[in-house]
Amino acid sequence: MTAAAFVAAAALLAGCTQAPASSDGPTNITYWTWFPPESTLNAVIDAFEAENPDITVTLKTFDGADYQKQLPLALSGGESVDVAGVQISAMTNSVKDYLDPAEDWAGDILSTLNPTMIEQTKAIATDGVLYSVPMGSIGSPIMYYNADILDSLGLSVPTTADEWKVAVDEIKAAMPDVTPVVFQGDVYWQEEMLFAIAEQTSPGLSDDIIGGTGAWDQPALIDGLKAYKSLFDDGIISTDVLSLTGSRPNELFGQGLAAFYFDGSWQDSLLSAAYREANNIAVKDVGATTLPLVNGGSPSVRALAEGGLAIPTASTKKEAAAKFIAFMLSTAGNDVWAKDLILVPSLTGYVLPSSVLESEAAATGFAAANAAISSPTSKRDAQQDFLSTVEGNAILDVLRGTKTAEEAAAFMQSEWTSGRYPHASDN
Amino acid sequence: MTTIKTSKLAKPRGGSRALPPRGGLSRTNSKGGWYAVVFLAPIFVLYSVYYFFGFGILGVVSTQRVGLTFRNAVDVGAQNFILVATDPAFQGALINTLLFAAFSVAVALTLGFILAMMLASGVRVRQVFYTVFLLPSLIPMSLFATVFGRMLETRDGALNEFLRSIGLGFLTQDWLGDPAAAYVAVGIIITYTIGLPIMYYTTDVAQVQASIMESATLDGASVWQIYRIMLFPLLRATHITVILSVLLGSFRAFDIIYFSTSGQPGGRTDIAGTYIYKATLGLDRIGYAAAASIILLVVALSFSIVQVIIRRKAN
Repeated sequence: MTAAAFVAAAALLAGCTQAPASSDGPTNITYWTWFPPESTLNAVIDAFEAENPDITVTLKTFDGADYQKQLPLALSGGESVDVAGVQISAMTNSVKDYLDPAEDWAGDILSTLNPTMIEQTKAIATDGVLYSVPMGSIGSPIMYYNADILDSLGLSVPTTADEWKVAVDEIKAAMPDVTPVVFQGDVYWQEEMLFAIAEQTSPGLSDDIIGGTGAWDQPALIDGLKAYKSLFDDGIISTDVLSLTGSRPNELFGQGLAAFYFDGSWQDSLLSAAYREANNIAVKDVGATTLPLVNGGSPSVRALAEGGLAIPTASTKKEAAAKFIAFMLSTAGNDVWAKDLILVPSLTGYVLPSSVLESEAAATGFAAANAAISSPTSKRDAQQDFLSTVEGNAILDVLRGTKTAEEAAAFMQSEWTSGRYPHASDN
Repeated sequence: MTTIKTSKLAKPRGGSRALPPRGGLSRTNSKGGWYAVVFLAPIFVLYSVYYFFGFGILGVVSTQRVGLTFRNAVDVGAQNFILVATDPAFQGALINTLLFAAFSVAVALTLGFILAMMLASGVRVRQVFYTVFLLPSLIPMSLFATVFGRMLETRDGALNEFLRSIGLGFLTQDWLGDPAAAYVAVGIIITYTIGLPIMYYTTDVAQVQASIMESATLDGASVWQIYRIMLFPLLRATHITVILSVLLGSFRAFDIIYFSTSGQPGGRTDIAGTYIYKATLGLDRIGYAAAASIILLVVALSFSIVQVIIRRKAN
């Protein structure tokens, strides 16, 4: 008996069979996703249902990491899901066998969307088929800054490590309660920082290693590790920061207790005054830019299409599901969810209402982040288990001085080729 | 005098947990055995389904390269087991699992025993102490560990803030950055879960006949002698229960590590549970995670077998 047969039998025993479609009354479709926030999703659903009174939508939301496991298990167990949100990088290949190719149901939608994002989504699948339609694109890291702090100290937004050090020293001296630079110390985030720094002088490095055949112990990566470590050695970033995990850096920044905060563009909501007010964020004005140049080069951001919308093969309400997806990707749908600033929308020519970004710092920052995301130095791709077990820890060891950059790089390369972590160059 | 003491000491073991007379148990079985089977059958069927599917899937998948959807599986034989067994991260995680288990047992048998005896001795506001010690074991460990993890922050964490506030700033640590400090942090959180061993001990010590204590006191035994020479050996069955429950609980201490240190620094506080969880995050790694689970299961089962053998010998 195969494992798949075991799972199917278990699903039958558990009664997880497909719910029969109702022959009368509105068609109800089930939508599973992990983002945007539930309040935003409910607003989109309300708008859709008002426009389509014959369709109702039942929403089920999950935590992002949990969703990576829940959706594949649900689809393999025959759970009734009509519209599935897909984390394009992390989930496409784990669920694609249960999804209909987007060309089968998307119709004219695809021609209205950014072709680069469509191509990125297609390229992630190992068979090169488009299984989900991206709502937009995300990139990281983005440096959010407390514009009030910089203004009050007469500091300009740093573009190089030297300028950054001056700003950090000023902040330390004038505001001892403020942590100058914060970001997550979690293992996954270290890859974002490392490649952003390394790709300032070696664009495409991440694609070369994670998506290609490049080695982890190549000089460009070792230089990147050293450059990242130099930010700690020079006192720009404190190793204290590495003990901040989860939402803690975001909280510190929101409370006005951090001057510079690194995260992905999904935190662009911070640029919106309305969002900050609604979420009791104490900072009056927030700006955004890319990571300052450490050893010269050009600003770098890794970006990828995100927020895939897909229709499971087992769905019995594909027409209604396709209608809902079309609405999500239309101007009317974008008008509801895009103002959260979580994604750069995939809808070609879509312009965010001007009321969303009120200050100059916010508008300039959003434009800068979008420009960087539009021309990324690499795809924002990762080998998740290698990242969480090997790579992130090796980078942290360098930052804490436990390993040299060379030792960490050699260790990563030996584990990458150990056979334990399947990756692109295996195929 | 000595003879009387010995005979009195021997009695309570049978007195508190008296076995039915020989033959009595078999008579009960012959009459009530079928009733028991009827009542147990549904539970047995449920357990069988659980074992069949749980271990069945685990066994099959562990020899495959396959993802969470269980489709397009590639048979890889014993390769997953070899890769897991030779992974330094898994070896480290397994050693940590055993180390933390040993520490948990040591804390339960020493601090847990001492605190239980103190509480059983009629200390004032005993209920308050019971609540204090039991509470961490009763609330969800994920919540408890998350709060504790927040307390470990280097700059603003409560632990370092507290040390600074009482003039012990020199003891502040980078709890998640220094391996030794991280082990201490894990040790602290494990110590907080001492409530259940205390409950086992206080329940069983109440079964010890008061007359034994009185005799010992009349014979001039000190409190320390009563605890060391009498109570500790008398509670041998409780020790075995505590050891087994704490030991096997340690193999499932995923939430303690995941939500407090997340394996930091550099994966050095990872245990087998967190290792397996991380393994499931990757593409086509469910077979690998299943192989790691089976190895862990074998280790845990071998501990159970050793415990059964020791218990039989003791009986």
